[in-house]
Amino acid sequence: MNKEEVYERLNNVFRDVFDDESIVVKPETTSKDIEDWDSLEHINLIVAVENEFGIKFNMGEVTTMKNVEEMVDIILSRVG
Amino acid sequence: MNLTSLVFALFCIITICIYFIVPKKIQWVILLISSLVFLLYDGSLPLNIIKFLLILVPTYFCGLLIEKNKENKKAKIYLTIGIMLIVGQLFYFKYANFFINTINLFLEKFNSENLINNIETNSLIGISYFSLIMISYLVDIYNGICKPQKNPFKCALFMTYFPILTSGPFIRYKDVEEDLYGKHKFDLNRLCNGLMRILWGLFKILVISERCGMFVDTVYGNLDKYFGTFIIVAAGLFTLQLYTNFSGSIDIIMGISEIFGIKLPENFTAPFFSRTITEFWRNWHITLGAWLRDYIFYPVLKSDSMQKFSADLKKRFSKKAVKKITLYVSMLVMWIIIGIWHGGNYTFIIGSGLLQFIFMVLEDLLEPLSNKINKKLGINKETFSYRLYQRIRTFILFSFSMIFFRAKTVEEALTIIFNILVWNPWVLLDNNTLFTAGLDIYEFRVLIISIVILFVVDKLSRTGSVREKLSKQNIVFRWTVTYLLIFGIIIFGCYGSGYNPAEFIYRQF
Repeated sequence: MNKEEVYERLNNVFRDVFDDESIVVKPETTSKDIEDWDSLEHINLIVAVENEFGIKFNMGEVTTMKNVEEMVDIILSRVG
Repeated sequence: MNLTSLVFALFCIITICIYFIVPKKIQWVILLISSLVFLLYDGSLPLNIIKFLLILVPTYFCGLLIEKNKENKKAKIYLTIGIMLIVGQLFYFKYANFFINTINLFLEKFNSENLINNIETNSLIGISYFSLIMISYLVDIYNGICKPQKNPFKCALFMTYFPILTSGPFIRYKDVEEDLYGKHKFDLNRLCNGLMRILWGLFKILVISERCGMFVDTVYGNLDKYFGTFIIVAAGLFTLQLYTNFSGSIDIIMGISEIFGIKLPENFTAPFFSRTITEFWRNWHITLGAWLRDYIFYPVLKSDSMQKFSADLKKRFSKKAVKKITLYVSMLVMWIIIGIWHGGNYTFIIGSGLLQFIFMVLEDLLEPLSNKINKKLGINKETFSYRLYQRIRTFILFSFSMIFFRAKTVEEALTIIFNILVWNPWVLLDNNTLFTAGLDIYEFRVLIISIVILFVVDKLSRTGSVREKLSKQNIVFRWTVTYLLIFGIIIFGCYGSGYNPAEFIYRQF
């Protein structure tokens, strides 16, 4: 799986979780850029991403991820 | 040691002096010695040492073992053992009697005469703080966020760092590791900044909090005498008393730590400018909220059983409904834990737990409705007046919940709420009545002016550090502010009965 593919699938997950078809995720996207992305919604997003890619984040990653790029790096390192 | 006491001031001055005299390599040792003195001096020394080692030793070894067994399943076992030992002690020392009393309540209901006696528990100072801090230490090692501390003495310093033992904030090992064991040069600028923050904390506690307390204690201590408006004023003042005492303590703690060169996380960011209770809790006791989010809320929501629970629900309800239900269930668990953490008493569980949960759920559920009404009536939410209305509403809701927090029993809280219903607003107009409850007209004036100062400073702090803003002003203005603060504290501070400088200084004018 390459980076573009990950971003494309991630985009769908974000749109689905936040119920907003206009979202376009970029490497530098953070929780500040998406209105509904608060600590409560964060975990829903994490679980949705896990299901989409068939991977598991550990709790440390869940709490320390800073932006979408870091999330993509972790996904790529898991799915190979 | 009380943070505003002379003993504590002396203790800090001595520690700071030695800290900057000794070789920088052993600065952390000085902090450890001071911290141990602070932790162990009150009560029986041998018993305190045992209690202290009972937490330090298992946590230290569990940390090392978790790291060593990272690749296999044993890590989880050591993590579980470590957490159980810490939680076990916390429950024994803080909550054993709460559970005994609860069981006794049931026994009484069934007319049993064999009630269980309460046990004597003298816990170490700061147990509610360092217990949670050590849990986060173990979990962070398990999750690969930090490496365990190999030196047991350094580990002991992390656990007992004295400034945070009385009121927090909750620290994380990864955030303080470098500062705590690092070498720190003496820096005059840092000293002045730290002192300024300490002064501001003292102002909050001695001038505002203690003064609010005089009124609150009088009203809540004589519930057969004070009704209606008195209670409403007392409830509001108690919220301010709590805020200024707690955040003032944090200011003193942060100031001291700043002088050492150890940066601590902020715990309050102008909470009374929040527009909802949900936002309020993002600005009030921030590090406790963050701790619960990272170590309870997220793991519970992400756990397999919660995922299975929501998958089951999805078969029956819409996606949106399932999201809400799982969210509310985890929030309920979290708020009950926050309530219990505040102390083993139902007043805390209701006041700082369940009521907050109910407010937040209501805010969430009613938001679509309030948006609809506002749209129909053409009310713009982004105006000063609407924001002010939301802030006052948040303040009132929080003050209401704090009636439970302040009351000794749930029955007393209910009596207080019932007594609010007495209609007597004229006590506000009749000059002499309101001023009979612990604060006379002079004291009230001082209180109101200092609360205005508090809110102005809080408002300024929302757009960046107030001290930085002050440092950009010219020297005359800076020193005037500093001197006003110092003399304000000396003259208008409340130092307990029998010693009140304001009594004979400003009354003569």
